[in-house]
Amino acid sequence: MESPHNEALSLRGIMKVFPGVLANAGVNLSARRGEILAILGENGAGKSTLMKILYGMYQPDSGAVSVNGREVRIRSPKDALALGIGMIHQHFTLVPVHTVWENVVLGLDPSSGRPADRKGAVRELEALGRKYGLAVDPCAVVADLSVGMQQKTEILKVLYRSVSILVLDEPTAVLTPGEAENLFGFLQEFRAAGNTVLFITHKLGEVMEIADRIEVLRGGRNAGSFLRGEVTERELAARMVGGDIPPVGEPPSRPTGRDVLEVRDLWVRGSRGHHAVRGVSFAVRAGEIFGVAGVSGNGQEELADCVCGLARQERGEILLDGRVLPREDPGAVFRAGVGYIPADRHREGLVLDMTVEENLVLKNLPAYSRKGFLREGAIRENAERRIADYGIRPPLPGSRTASLSGGNQQKVVAAREIEAGRKCIVAVQPTRGLDLGAAAHVHRMLAGARSEGRAVFLVSTELSEIMSLSDTVAVMTGGEILGIFPRESADLRMIGMLMAGRKGEPE
Amino acid sequence: MILEGLLARAVQMSTPLLLGSLGEVMVERTGVMNMAIEGIFLLGAWAGFTGAYITGSLAAGFLCAMAAGVAVGALYGWITVCLKQHQIVTGVAINILAAGIGIFFYRVLFGVPLLPLTVEPLRPLAVPFLSDIPVIGPALFRQNILTYLAWGAMPLGWWVLFRTRTGLVLRSTGANPEAVDAAGISVERVRFGAVLAAGALSGLAGAFYSIGYLGLFSNDMIGGRGWIAFALCFLGNWNPLGALLGAVVFGIADAAAITLQTSGIRMVPNEFLIALPYMLTIAATLARKRFNVPASLGTAYIKEEK
Amino acid sequence: MAEKRRENPLFDAITDPDGVFSSLFFPAMSVFLGLASAGVLMPFLGHSPAAVYRDLFSFAFRDIYNIADIFAKASPLILTGLAFAFAFRAGLFNIGAQGQFYLGAVASAACALSFPYLPSWVLLPLCAAASMAAGGLWGGMTGFFKARFNANEFLVSMMSTYVAVAIMDFLVRSPLREAKGEYPQTDVLAEAAWIPSFLPGTRFHWGFFLALAAAGAAWVLLWKTTLGFRMRAVGKNRAAARFAGIREKSVFVSVFLVSGAFAGLAGFLEVNGVQHMVVQGFNPLLGAEGIGIAVLGSAHPLGVVLSALLFGALKVGGLLVTQTSSVPSSIIAILEGFVMLYVILSFYLRHRLRRSRSRRRTAAGGEAP
Repeated sequence: MESPHNEALSLRGIMKVFPGVLANAGVNLSARRGEILAILGENGAGKSTLMKILYGMYQPDSGAVSVNGREVRIRSPKDALALGIGMIHQHFTLVPVHTVWENVVLGLDPSSGRPADRKGAVRELEALGRKYGLAVDPCAVVADLSVGMQQKTEILKVLYRSVSILVLDEPTAVLTPGEAENLFGFLQEFRAAGNTVLFITHKLGEVMEIADRIEVLRGGRNAGSFLRGEVTERELAARMVGGDIPPVGEPPSRPTGRDVLEVRDLWVRGSRGHHAVRGVSFAVRAGEIFGVAGVSGNGQEELADCVCGLARQERGEILLDGRVLPREDPGAVFRAGVGYIPADRHREGLVLDMTVEENLVLKNLPAYSRKGFLREGAIRENAERRIADYGIRPPLPGSRTASLSGGNQQKVVAAREIEAGRKCIVAVQPTRGLDLGAAAHVHRMLAGARSEGRAVFLVSTELSEIMSLSDTVAVMTGGEILGIFPRESADLRMIGMLMAGRKGEPE
Repeated sequence: MILEGLLARAVQMSTPLLLGSLGEVMVERTGVMNMAIEGIFLLGAWAGFTGAYITGSLAAGFLCAMAAGVAVGALYGWITVCLKQHQIVTGVAINILAAGIGIFFYRVLFGVPLLPLTVEPLRPLAVPFLSDIPVIGPALFRQNILTYLAWGAMPLGWWVLFRTRTGLVLRSTGANPEAVDAAGISVERVRFGAVLAAGALSGLAGAFYSIGYLGLFSNDMIGGRGWIAFALCFLGNWNPLGALLGAVVFGIADAAAITLQTSGIRMVPNEFLIALPYMLTIAATLARKRFNVPASLGTAYIKEEK
Repeated sequence: MAEKRRENPLFDAITDPDGVFSSLFFPAMSVFLGLASAGVLMPFLGHSPAAVYRDLFSFAFRDIYNIADIFAKASPLILTGLAFAFAFRAGLFNIGAQGQFYLGAVASAACALSFPYLPSWVLLPLCAAASMAAGGLWGGMTGFFKARFNANEFLVSMMSTYVAVAIMDFLVRSPLREAKGEYPQTDVLAEAAWIPSFLPGTRFHWGFFLALAAAGAAWVLLWKTTLGFRMRAVGKNRAAARFAGIREKSVFVSVFLVSGAFAGLAGFLEVNGVQHMVVQGFNPLLGAEGIGIAVLGSAHPLGVVLSALLFGALKVGGLLVTQTSSVPSSIIAILEGFVMLYVILSFYLRHRLRRSRSRRRTAAGGEAP
């Protein structure tokens, strides 16, 4: 029972519809002062939308919001801030080319021609940093900071404006376990001062560690409200999914066979001129899933890009079946038998405005053309076969790929890449943004490829995914591979330490 | 002697380029390209002339020019910022429309006169003492008031952009509109305001040609110089001082072309001189390798996208 | 809920923002509103819009000569429209069609003037090839700059037009100047270089069918060849195209070569088909009009042809109106500008329609399609 004096905020009957998506269908939520409330749900459950409505970035189609007992209309982040609500977004809302203090000061008194007061801001920031244990150099350029530091900047931005209700959207997605501990420490102090924290996550472990109360969302609706002590992880998982948890993954097989993909002393430069990959060496055998764990931004994507011909290595070699792979030629790498399921299917994997059959031949045009003209019959045939094999819905080769659901779009990418990757498949974050059913399907496809004797190189920031799929686990931090173990001997604590190894963050 | 005249003319001819490029820098810093710039220059020239002719006051003319610029800017801003339509296509449409509307209303107001109507353009205003310095004196200090304003506006623009809170908002809007949105500021309002400002400056710039320099209006008097101002924003690396440098270089090229033409020296064909500023623009566009492009330039800010 | 949706499939089809009805309705509405808006301005000069438009359309279709003239006027417009539309499909902006047109015209004239003794069946293809080569190379220059220097092709193509104008002016004033030396124009071309007339007594020449063939070629290129596939992929999603191994730089160059060739061919049509000479500064708005036509035609070859015919009709009628009354010729530019603006507004409307349909469907059904 909520005592009205203690209730910091409440959302009632929130409804929000986007084209093609019912994000929130009558959601209720309330939080007390001096409490950490975790909002739990899988991808697409409507958590972010709900919080963005609270923060004024979206307007609800219907429903009511009350803050401190009074009903309010939050029309923009300005209103939210005025009510003492601050939000730390999943994708940081910082301007990379500006300094920390410029980012913090942005938006305060925007229409005055007054000069921006650097000294005053710096002084206040240093004081705030000391008070909450969030020390950041106010004059540093944000783009040069580590991800953990950037998040601290986001938090300082919010604290600078005196908030009493702090909303965090998947804050640990980009942090090492050590940085996450720091964050939790801060949140506990913040709560102790009588403030409220709303914490969006899909990670059960975190919820059990930090939350006082837990609200589960599923498919845009409430699916259960619990105190932390009253519930187990198993129960929460069931509520999130709406039924029994699907099996985690197949037991690992014993990979035998030769080295299919070999990387030797690879050095790759990142977009900012530094070395994103530093002297990495490893090999993936036939019939093996080699999983690289690590917080995003440690060079994994650059490594995968380089293997597939999208980035140039400065030093080192990549060998497929003993032969050097063509450099910087994604088409040739594809034809050599390497499939690549990219991290961001919208941006890199698919041309959404083209049809399904067109996307399926996107990477291999020469095989489907004769003297410069497209062989439409062959293209259609290929599409029909893939659609049948991979269960792509709706089964219409001529439909615009944009009209497919996220899971089916990923199936199109997977169909194309797994078919082509007869020797090796590189998969980066293959289940990002997919619901549990679609994710399980992708996992099954990768496991299937492994059973057929192919080499699978998997990169993921979700440790659970790596642990459930891989035969061999590697940890990548700061551009280097810090350890390679067979799955059975991999220990979560050790992996966590390795992940924090070279980040430069004090424990 | 020739050098003095050349420099003076260069400074003078750079005036509209300065104003136009300053407006463009401001608006592109928020992530919007003013693709209607050539049309606004033209309508500014028309409005300036019309206002000055009817009221007899050049100041009124310049005010009319700015008003016209703001009006066209409002139309462009509404379509591109609020309705989020394509900036290039909208700009082309407005430029085509402007090419017809100016001359149409000239006809409505003044009919078809035998000789083009004229007004007395701006006269130079000499700064005492400074204008007597040899060589650079007349070039810098014996110019008309609009030129002084334009040259003064550039450092002022730099200061606003890099030293004030408003400037911080402008730059942030172009670099990462989400950050501005999350801070509680309406991205659309910032961009729309910047478009209006760019419109005002470009209208004023256009009026330079009609009432600041030649004293008449003709439909082809802008001749692509709006686009050169547009290019200067790029070449100046989205910095008013950089644009200033570029404008000076182009002013010199423009003045050199005119000087060579009128002096009768036939070293190169006339047409080459006329084409010189445009060729320079192309060359300069190619030479600029690393840009500090505002990250969101050209893309509409769409919030509730799924 | 399901019955409510199936209530009126006809309504659904008509209001489908991506359906056939909409593809015709919105452009037609834009033209209508454009005419209306231009009509609002006419009373300022003491003309009644009703009278003006009545005259315009009756003039355009008054007799065979005028109707034939519509096709003559539409021919080069189809090509400059194709030039913009083709590049647009690859996400590129060729604003330099006017310059490519001029250089194509000059190249064709130079060819005809240099070889007046050649028979028609050799000279005409030669001139056509020269015009396509000149326009194509000039456009290709822009594509090359984009590929090599990552230059802003909008700016480069825009500037290159002014340079092309200067080149044409120079050529027409000296090397190619008419024997008389009176005006900045060339001599009249030998008859062997004249495109034969389709309808004797009118200006409708066989070049119109050449333009239609070009539109057909554009369609085939875009949807039946690998180059077209690559272009469309690059146009819709650069990152995915690059990821798929498509070399975007070569796409840039190829696209501008073809686009420029289209515009250059327009020069051949105008010079060899209608004017039979090159006059300085002729047809100054062909490039800009091509952009308007491409936009009105949704950047599709069929749409371009239809829009070009429409613009042709407006021009024929419009020119006659301006000649027989005191309505100024600037009204045509005003008309074109308004039509383009309304087309842009119609894009917005269709976007809103699409979203509200999607929203309605989702709220009713609760699941994404």
